[in-house]
Amino acid sequence: MQVTLQTFIGGLSLGAIYALVAMGFSLVFRTMGLVNFSHGNVVMIGAYLASTFVLSAKLPFAVAMAIAIAVTGLIGIFIERVLRPLENKDFDLMLIGTIGFGIVLEALAIIIWGATGRAVPNPVPAAPVEILGLRIRTYDLVVLAIAAAATALLVFFLQRTKRGAAMQAVAMDHEAATAVGIHVGRSNAVAFMLGAALAALAGGLVGPLLYVSPAMGGSLGIKGFAGAILGGFGSIPGAIVGGLAIGVLDAFAAGHFQGYSELVTFLVFTVIIMVRPMGIFGERTVNRA
Amino acid sequence: MLSTWRRRAATLSTLLVVPLVAAACSAPGSNNNNSNQSNKGPIKIAVADAQSGQLSSLGAWELKGVRLAADEWNAAGGINGRQIEIGVFDDQGDPTVGTNLATKIASEGYIAMLGTAESGVTIAMAPILQENKIPNITSGQSPGLVAVKSPFLFLNGPTSTTYDETLAKYVVDTKGMKSIAMITNNGGYGKGEHDAFLKALQSRSVTPVDDQVVTADQKEFSAVLTGIRQKNPQVIFVGAEEVQSGLIVKQARDLGITAPFAGGAPFGTPVYLDTAGAANAEGTIVSSPYLSNDISDASKKFAAAYKAKFNEEAELHGAKAYDGAQILFTALKNSGEATGEDLAKAIRATKYKGLLGDFAYDDTGVGIFATTIGLIKSGKLVKA
Repeated sequence: MQVTLQTFIGGLSLGAIYALVAMGFSLVFRTMGLVNFSHGNVVMIGAYLASTFVLSAKLPFAVAMAIAIAVTGLIGIFIERVLRPLENKDFDLMLIGTIGFGIVLEALAIIIWGATGRAVPNPVPAAPVEILGLRIRTYDLVVLAIAAAATALLVFFLQRTKRGAAMQAVAMDHEAATAVGIHVGRSNAVAFMLGAALAALAGGLVGPLLYVSPAMGGSLGIKGFAGAILGGFGSIPGAIVGGLAIGVLDAFAAGHFQGYSELVTFLVFTVIIMVRPMGIFGERTVNRA
Repeated sequence: MLSTWRRRAATLSTLLVVPLVAAACSAPGSNNNNSNQSNKGPIKIAVADAQSGQLSSLGAWELKGVRLAADEWNAAGGINGRQIEIGVFDDQGDPTVGTNLATKIASEGYIAMLGTAESGVTIAMAPILQENKIPNITSGQSPGLVAVKSPFLFLNGPTSTTYDETLAKYVVDTKGMKSIAMITNNGGYGKGEHDAFLKALQSRSVTPVDDQVVTADQKEFSAVLTGIRQKNPQVIFVGAEEVQSGLIVKQARDLGITAPFAGGAPFGTPVYLDTAGAANAEGTIVSSPYLSNDISDASKKFAAAYKAKFNEEAELHGAKAYDGAQILFTALKNSGEATGEDLAKAIRATKYKGLLGDFAYDDTGVGIFATTIGLIKSGKLVKA
């Protein structure tokens, strides 16, 4: 029982990170119908920026995170701007374009920060909380709280603001949205910016948990993408549930299947997707793609 | 039209992961120099290692070690008057990329190869290098390298068998710890460590209280560590690369495990220390042929030169690669720049006093059979 609960808690903290990554994937997908394959690498850039401001500039963790999120958001806008001529013309090329950006970002990271990577010290050095023999890292609680807050903000933005409503409209029907005077390109840029900002948030938060290296985007991106698909691609609540589910599934598979855990995780994932191809929260209304 | 996009996106997403991985692989560092090998020209030596990807820290250290040795020889007039030319190849820690590189190295006229740091990649490259009679001094340490039985394959350090035999001797025989848990990953290095340490324990009639295997990519160890915590072992053996070892130890301390950790070369690196955090790493038992830069006059000189050239502290992997390069260059000098089988014979005949100890190769391609035990005390690795 103790092992089960402890495993669950361990899975949740990485799951929260996967959920943030999944939200970035879903946000761009629901707005543009595009899978942003550079997303994992944007997470990595966010992690590097946050860690650089903490380690080199000696800024407090929260300030470093804020700057990293802002800078990474700009990178998101830049990627969208470069890809914009292809919007609504050639999606295959656009997909390949995002892959290209991913490779460029990884190469840039190697040039700027070197290939070796770095460890980021824990910004919340308090001892783990102990409840009934279970140990919960204080930093995990911080990660979960920040992820929850970010989700709430995003949902508020999409549902309660004019810009958010415009993005929903573009997501539903971009031609009709254009007809009523919504700037589709700007809406896409906002989606990319928010996606990149979420990626930076995920990257910055995961830094102290793991190890920041140019290759870290790969597995985070794939797990986050799987989370987004599992929850229902394009759905924000789906991304959260899917991301957390992948994290927890991974943790349990690791305990029970040892060296075959990765295989089991993705087998279970495949079975769920076969039974429910639209994912847990497959949305019909915002189905641009 | 709308729903076809989704389907296309989904198909593409699966299709594209493969080229994504493959495309990320095109080597940034490969040095194309097609000048034909002439007796007067430079001696072309290939260095194949992971220069990108998760194992790139190993590749970076290795390359620095080799560069340092090559620059020293070149500054002193080269090998019998011929300069050494280093060609850098990025294997990304991937055996498939490695086999392609082996073919490339052979076709571009390199006479010998240094690296790789990953046993799995070296084993994949070995048959091609053997076929083309290109001697290879690897930094891998898996017993699987010996099992390849290639007369062209040499190791620049001891195998896992030596590391783990020394470790088991210290932990079981010297310290009398019998309650031992194991965590290893299922990659090439981890598998070698698992088998070697288990064998060393069995020869002492000790059965580990827990034997957990994780994937090479795993980052979350709550399940594995909580299971181990309940068995309350006296010491935990870890066979995993630097970053993963660090993550395991960090998470174990967060879960309230106080037992010391024990392992091989990765535990002696700064990457491990940074990832785990100095406080968490306290008391780690390390089996290594190169405990610190202060073990001998030669190592002090090496460390100073390394620091001056790269502005970075030297560590085991750089030292191993430096030794390997020195052995190769010495063999080339002694044999009058031989190639192929003659060069392999010359390497086997080379007796070299290196940073890791005294090298004398046997028929298996292993030249050194000793490691020492160190302990991490206040962030420093000291002799036990």
